Amino acid sequence: MGTPSLVSVVDDDESVRESLPDLLREFGFAAEAFSSAEAFLASDVVSETSCLLLDVAMPGMSGPDLQQELRRRQRDIPIVFITAQGDETVRPRLLAQGAVECLFKPFSDTALLDALNAALRMR
Amino acid sequence: MEVPLESAADEVTRLRDCLNDLVSITALPALSTGGEPGQILSTLLDALLGMLRLSFVFVRLNDPEAGDSIQIVRLAESLEGTARAREISEAIDSSLGDAPLNRPPHVRVIIGDVDLSVASAHLGLQGQNGLVVAGSERRDFPSETERLLLDVTANQAAIGLQHARLLSEQKRLEELAQRRRTEEAQREGERESRLIVDSIPGLVALLTATGDVEVVNRQVFEYFGQTLEELRQWGTNDTIHPEDLPQVIEVFTRAITSGSSYEIVQRFRRSDGVYRWFSNSGFPLRDANGHIVRWCVLLTDIDDLKRAEAELRRAYDHLAEAQRLSQTGSFTSDLATDEHCWSEEFYRICEFEPGSKVTIQRLGDIVHPEDVPLYEGAIQRAIAGTEPVFHFRIVTSRGVVKHLRGFAHRIADRPVFVGAVQDVTASRVAEDALNKARSELAHVARVATLSTLTASIAHELNQPLSGIITNAGTCLRMLDANPPNVEGARETARRTIRDGNRASEVVALLRALFSKKEFALEPVDLNEAAQEVLALSFSELQRNRLIVQSELADDLPSIIGDRVQLQQVLLNLLRNASDAMVGVHDRPRQLLIRTEREDGDRVRVTVRDAGTGFDRQSMDNLFEAFYTTKSDGMGIGLSVSRSIVERHHGRLWAEPNDGPGATFSFSIPRGPDSGTDAAPLMRHS
Repeated sequence: MGTPSLVSVVDDDESVRESLPDLLREFGFAAEAFSSAEAFLASDVVSETSCLLLDVAMPGMSGPDLQQELRRRQRDIPIVFITAQGDETVRPRLLAQGAVECLFKPFSDTALLDALNAALRMR
Repeated sequence: MEVPLESAADEVTRLRDCLNDLVSITALPALSTGGEPGQILSTLLDALLGMLRLSFVFVRLNDPEAGDSIQIVRLAESLEGTARAREISEAIDSSLGDAPLNRPPHVRVIIGDVDLSVASAHLGLQGQNGLVVAGSERRDFPSETERLLLDVTANQAAIGLQHARLLSEQKRLEELAQRRRTEEAQREGERESRLIVDSIPGLVALLTATGDVEVVNRQVFEYFGQTLEELRQWGTNDTIHPEDLPQVIEVFTRAITSGSSYEIVQRFRRSDGVYRWFSNSGFPLRDANGHIVRWCVLLTDIDDLKRAEAELRRAYDHLAEAQRLSQTGSFTSDLATDEHCWSEEFYRICEFEPGSKVTIQRLGDIVHPEDVPLYEGAIQRAIAGTEPVFHFRIVTSRGVVKHLRGFAHRIADRPVFVGAVQDVTASRVAEDALNKARSELAHVARVATLSTLTASIAHELNQPLSGIITNAGTCLRMLDANPPNVEGARETARRTIRDGNRASEVVALLRALFSKKEFALEPVDLNEAAQEVLALSFSELQRNRLIVQSELADDLPSIIGDRVQLQQVLLNLLRNASDAMVGVHDRPRQLLIRTEREDGDRVRVTVRDAGTGFDRQSMDNLFEAFYTTKSDGMGIGLSVSRSIVERHHGRLWAEPNDGPGATFSFSIPRGPDSGTDAAPLMRHS
């Protein structure tokens, strides 16, 4: 087994930043967590990230904003959105804009794994 | 005198003739009847000329008053054409001299080529009245009888002239006296007329038959301040108001032409330039034959009357208009005799024929069947002496139901009332509609607020739930690993418990918010309430990337109110502020919530945003239901919020900021003690 793929988590909710990396590592991925889009962009893992788990609503730069910024930088990272906002209209819009998946919190571990596998297949 | 004897018989004849002539002369009618001196003299001269067979006879009559003298000459036929009167006069003057008393009784005079014996006699005792001269070709002229006849004739002439003069003088005096009497009577009459005309309390003018101003009384001069000549120009000098002039000319001309009286109401200019209303009436004055000799014109000042009339008309119109606008009728009712006087508007409200007879029974007949006891009760109370305030419905002949409200005031010992009655149907209907709309709004508002809350609750619960599920999944996988990662599993289980507690806290918060089934008054700490709302809205505010700043006063007193309702207001204001800043990208999306203590034991809460704001023009509309500046808003939030604040006897208002955005504030009194009765809060629909 080679170097595990890096999955980066960007969410302003602390409990998500604590819990999700552990689960990802259980899945066999490498994981990094960031509390904001700005922090992620400033890090040195942008180019290494194979998949991004991205919260939609955050103070400052939002999830979709980050998506656009990455596209502008031609960093074509597959994105799985995660949101606590139970608004069904959000999902088709995000998918149309190129997201691999949009998961509504709370989501099961299998739903997450399916989405990650789909994302990694795109690479 | 020498007389030939042989002619005694002739002499007798001559004497007889002379006597006849004397009689003839003295009996001449001209002498006794008076008449013109010239005529008297002419008659005498003619008689003398014939009797004495004279060649000429001449008379000069002095007029002592005028100074001129009258000269008359009568010539015999034989002398005609040979001499003229002036020549005879000159010849006589030159031969007889000027002094009458010194004249010789007879002389010889040559007139032309005729040699004449001339005799003269004077008129009047001293000859002062003139003289009579007779001339004959006979040498013996004048004989004694001829002399006698000449003297008698002169005397007769003098007497006749005197008589005539007396007569004419008498006549003249009589005429003079008569004229004086007439003039006096006329003057007296004029004085009386003038007195009467000047005393008439009106303006009087007399016109000629053709309509020209002839005489006017003192009042006319005083009113117009014009001369008679100026008054005659009334058609061209603004004496009559220009608006009235054409009609006045037409009526006046027609009257003068047709000879029938006229009357016209018009304006005349007073001396100070002010036009006043007059009644102008004119009628013709006719002579015995019915011909118009004059016109009499009476001008009566009716300006005050006219003004009062207009004032009355205006007042009446205003009253009627006011009654129509306010749909208020008035009435006077004598309940004992069942006699009533209604205003026009009362008739209109009841849809009765204006002016038709009204009775208690007739009005009672159109009272709504359900309200008959109300109507009869009011009548009974009024008859008993109380002043009724009544409220009942009527059903008009068209089947329209109207709400009437009114009161009456007693004005006599008997049950006589003056009152007013108003058709309040429109306001009643509007009030009902308003109540209905208000409860519908409240319902819509609750649903809308609930949906906002639901979204917040879901978000707040989903975050910890998400953590729980992820941690639980991780935990299982760690335990399933070979070897099991017990330490990792313990850590994830610990986090699961923490997130579970966090979810539980959210639920506890919600329970606190909704546990009270009844809306009730309780002490509310607005700082705490604001913090709870901020906590509930936190994720939404965060999502919209707002920079939330709170300035909560430390010394804020509790107020008495409905906590949940007030939190709904806060939630609404926060949500509005947040929505207003969604489109803002060029500046920080700053939101400030501030609580502070106000004078007068009040508390103020302010929510300030940096959003799109609003202009002053739309400020009044902000609080109207369904007014919204948001494309997806319902526009009910602010209207409901204001009604909630007002139920707390407070005030909610909005102001545009100096910079971008708007500030919404509400201020409410601390409670019933500091304000008014808060009971209406309990009456929640």
